[in-house]
Amino acid sequence: MIGAGIKRGTAELAVLSVLQDGPLHGYELARRIEQQTKGALRFTLAALYPMLYRMEQRGWIRGSWETGGNGRRRRCYRLTTAGRTKLSPLRKEWSELYSALQRLAKVSHA
Amino acid sequence: MRDWEAVVEQHLSGLALEPAERSEVITELAQHLAETCEQCRKQGMTEEEAARRALSQVEDWHKLSRLIQIARKKENSMTNRVKQFWLPSLLTLFLSMGLLMLIQLFGPSPLKVAMKNGWSLIAPTAVIYLPWLFSLPVIGAMGAYLSNRAGGSKRAMLSSIIFPVVPYAVFFFLALPAIAIFNERLGHNFMFIALFVGLLAWVVAPAAALLTGGVLVQHFVSRRLELGRITGN
Repeated sequence: MIGAGIKRGTAELAVLSVLQDGPLHGYELARRIEQQTKGALRFTLAALYPMLYRMEQRGWIRGSWETGGNGRRRRCYRLTTAGRTKLSPLRKEWSELYSALQRLAKVSHA
Repeated sequence: MRDWEAVVEQHLSGLALEPAERSEVITELAQHLAETCEQCRKQGMTEEEAARRALSQVEDWHKLSRLIQIARKKENSMTNRVKQFWLPSLLTLFLSMGLLMLIQLFGPSPLKVAMKNGWSLIAPTAVIYLPWLFSLPVIGAMGAYLSNRAGGSKRAMLSSIIFPVVPYAVFFFLALPAIAIFNERLGHNFMFIALFVGLLAWVVAPAAALLTGGVLVQHFVSRRLELGRITGN
């Protein structure tokens, strides 16, 4: 079973990575993550917003209300400088973890 | 078309944030639900199916409310703990102790439950203030309501409900045995049956009375949330 810490780390990395390409509102963010991970990572409303608000409090992302073409007001999230700074070590950590697990899996198969 | 803001507003009725901030959260979540619903409709679902699919994203609205509150609050988690546990706990403790004092001073004589030796009562004797016991469910309900309103977890709510009996429990479980050990006279005359009767009268019965009111409130709140989820209101 994947622990809460690992799950949270994966989710935060996913959000920061997707927002690196540009600002998105919550629904679109969840859709983009699902598409880019081919359905491996899915965010429900209940999982997404507490995490977005927490990341906002930490100063990694910033939300602001914007009016779209259809006149609908949406809260768009964008990456802050602190978020960009956070992304790089987070990626490194996950890459190291992934490599370590792959090595472990290969050893187990051998 | 469904009024998603009203749906979210109803489900997150316990969300304790500043009004403007609360309204922003409700609008944002409502838009997410509306867009999920629209997407499902595009895939050919009926309005009802799409709404059900959208709402299925949240299994426990009370938990979501608590998580949002923790995430959005500018104050630290210590402040949340104060609102969710310490404030309701101290209120239930203060009210129950205050009421007991008033009843002892001005109320009817307590019920004395004991064995009789002729006309006189012999130990173990339980002194029970019935008006106090009957008022405890209301106090427990108030504690549960306050903790729930501040987004407290079930554990915080239950702990704050039974908080008033903690001093008595400490007395019976720690202070009394300690006194019996160090006080030779009490040690020789110590009656376990008296300890048991005292525990029943001052810990078990008040805790049960407090929990009756508190659990009823908890049950009512859960039912309201569940009903809201089923009807989608």
